[in-house]
Amino acid sequence: MDFARTWLPFLYLYGVGGIAFVLGMVLILRTNALRTTFHRHKKWVYVLLYGFLFYAGLHALFIYLAIGSQ
Amino acid sequence: MDIAVGTSLDRVVILVYFALVMGFGAYFGKYSKNTTDYFFGGRRFAWWLITISIVATGVGSHSFVKYSTKAYQYGLSSTMTYMNDWFFMPLFMFGWLPIIYYTKVKSIPEYFERRFNRTARYLATMMTLLYMIGYIAIQFLTLATALYRIYGIPLMLTVILIAIATTIYMHFGGQTSVIFTDLLQGFILIFAGMFLFFLGIQYLGDHTALSGLKSFWMNLSPEQKLPLAHFNHPPDFNFVGIFWQDGIAGSIGFLFLNQGLIMRFMAAKSVNEGRKAAAVNVLLVLPISAIVVSNAGWIGRAIFNAVPGVLPEGLAANDVFVAVTNIVSSPGVFGFIIAALCAALMSTADTLVNASSAIIVNDIYRPLTKKVKSEKQQLDFARWTSVGVKVIAVILVPFFNSFDSIYEAHGWFHSTFTPPLVVGVFLGIFWKRFTSQAVIATFIGGAFLMILGQFNPELISPFSHGIELRPGRGYSYIGALYNIVVCAGVGVIVALLTKPKSDQNLEGLTIFDVHKLKAIFKGSAVNEEKGEDAIVSWLVDDTEENVMRFSKRDMDRMKANPGDLVYVQDGRWWLGGLKSAHSVYGAPHSEDGIVYINPTHLDHGQFVEGLELKAEKEM
Repeated sequence: MDFARTWLPFLYLYGVGGIAFVLGMVLILRTNALRTTFHRHKKWVYVLLYGFLFYAGLHALFIYLAIGSQ
Repeated sequence: MDIAVGTSLDRVVILVYFALVMGFGAYFGKYSKNTTDYFFGGRRFAWWLITISIVATGVGSHSFVKYSTKAYQYGLSSTMTYMNDWFFMPLFMFGWLPIIYYTKVKSIPEYFERRFNRTARYLATMMTLLYMIGYIAIQFLTLATALYRIYGIPLMLTVILIAIATTIYMHFGGQTSVIFTDLLQGFILIFAGMFLFFLGIQYLGDHTALSGLKSFWMNLSPEQKLPLAHFNHPPDFNFVGIFWQDGIAGSIGFLFLNQGLIMRFMAAKSVNEGRKAAAVNVLLVLPISAIVVSNAGWIGRAIFNAVPGVLPEGLAANDVFVAVTNIVSSPGVFGFIIAALCAALMSTADTLVNASSAIIVNDIYRPLTKKVKSEKQQLDFARWTSVGVKVIAVILVPFFNSFDSIYEAHGWFHSTFTPPLVVGVFLGIFWKRFTSQAVIATFIGGAFLMILGQFNPELISPFSHGIELRPGRGYSYIGALYNIVVCAGVGVIVALLTKPKSDQNLEGLTIFDVHKLKAIFKGSAVNEEKGEDAIVSWLVDDTEENVMRFSKRDMDRMKANPGDLVYVQDGRWWLGGLKSAHSVYGAPHSEDGIVYINPTHLDHGQFVEGLELKAEKEM
């Protein structure tokens, strides 16, 4: 399986999608829509970062397993 | 291939299921007292109720057929579209959700009027309605295609019968009925989908789950185990095209423009409950839903590889769902799985019908009616509108039946109606400089360039990422990137050439004011002091004033002051806020553990005599 079949989609997904995610995080933090001084809001920062890493990890794991099963 | 049409037992199971859902939904009609209840469920429900009902809305009847097909052809990468929604969650949870909740907009088009002008509202109304009613027609068509083979009655008659069945419970109950029937149907379709997966694993493992799982994994090729498709090949299923069509346009469309979904979040008791519902939905429920809708295809592929001859070589991919269900299940169970398909249709259609009806009432009927109508008249109009929406959807079914496949009809829809609205709402929220003229130019000029691209695929080529152009059929998914670019391009150019609204006129309508929205919603300074919840008995006070009166000590425990907002609900958590009411703290009294409510609160909350209430300070 070539690069375009395995890791390229992953890099594109979390590269372009990652830009959208980071811009979104920066915007909500800079506009005070999410205030890290609020205890309740601070927890959401962790949830948002966890969500991104959760999906990236899950996709990476399955790509790794698929390559390993060749 | 001649696929199974079920037994008498299967037909009975499906009929019983329809009767059960109609009765269940009609029961909740008593909770719809006005149009706010009818459309938004009275802003009272817990996050878990919203989450499960969103599942049922997101998984349409077309999902089972569509994703099983792709799963059979391409393996685990069929899950791509269910697992690419996290990128816009920060902007949704902390940008759009508080804006729609606290500004109390009743529809997406209403936001367009407040943010831009009335012309933008009417254009948005037209595009949103076309999108939603067409979507309902596709749902009717998908289920009717499956059911008419089972019952042997003509396709269009099946469509009409399904429309009547969903009308019965929606007509009376509105959003509350939709939420509770979707709760029931969400559980049923998740259970049925996972049960089908279990049966398939058992089949592959000769009734042993562990060896079945091993056999399942071993009988998929390495390519079929990959979670993402090939970057740009083949033209009808490639990663980059689907990323732009679904991961970008689809995700923004679903989170920011789906009136049905927005109304569901507005039925949450608070913005924070809405955030919880959204997070759990995307992090937990969507991956499960991906398995639910795709597994028939994966199991089919593993069976095809492991046990040659069970599934024929020439099996049409669209028939995989029914064929695999028939192989791995027994009579009665087959009916149950098809009933889950019904659950998927009914729950998606009812949400869209309720949403379309909300738009017609809020964006056409109210603005155009000169004489003020009573709540009862408006509620009656809303109910009959939902019937009208279904009639139009039924009339549209033959048009969609003329497409080569339901998948194609659905794709055409998304690519045609989503991009202008996506660009309009997104730039409206996140760019103050975006003007009314710019949004109208986006709708009209953007649509014109999109149509131009449909007829001249060479315009899309620079965006194609190396995807092959199919002669006579053009580009499929990557067209979404072209559509977004041309709509955004027109919008940005016109915005830069025109004069924006003043900050004062945009107050509360962009992300830059989200931190002020609570105060705007409350009408006074926000009390953020963290207090405890209070368990209280209730008594009815004969006042018409919208206040609830607690003892001084109870208010101190809740850290509440007169004028703060309060939410009370029946103490039984599993009701999820069904019996609840919002109000304002009134002047305190001296009887600890007692709250005085007025007859309107009692009527709205349907509280049970003798049962205590849980009260919490909102802000």
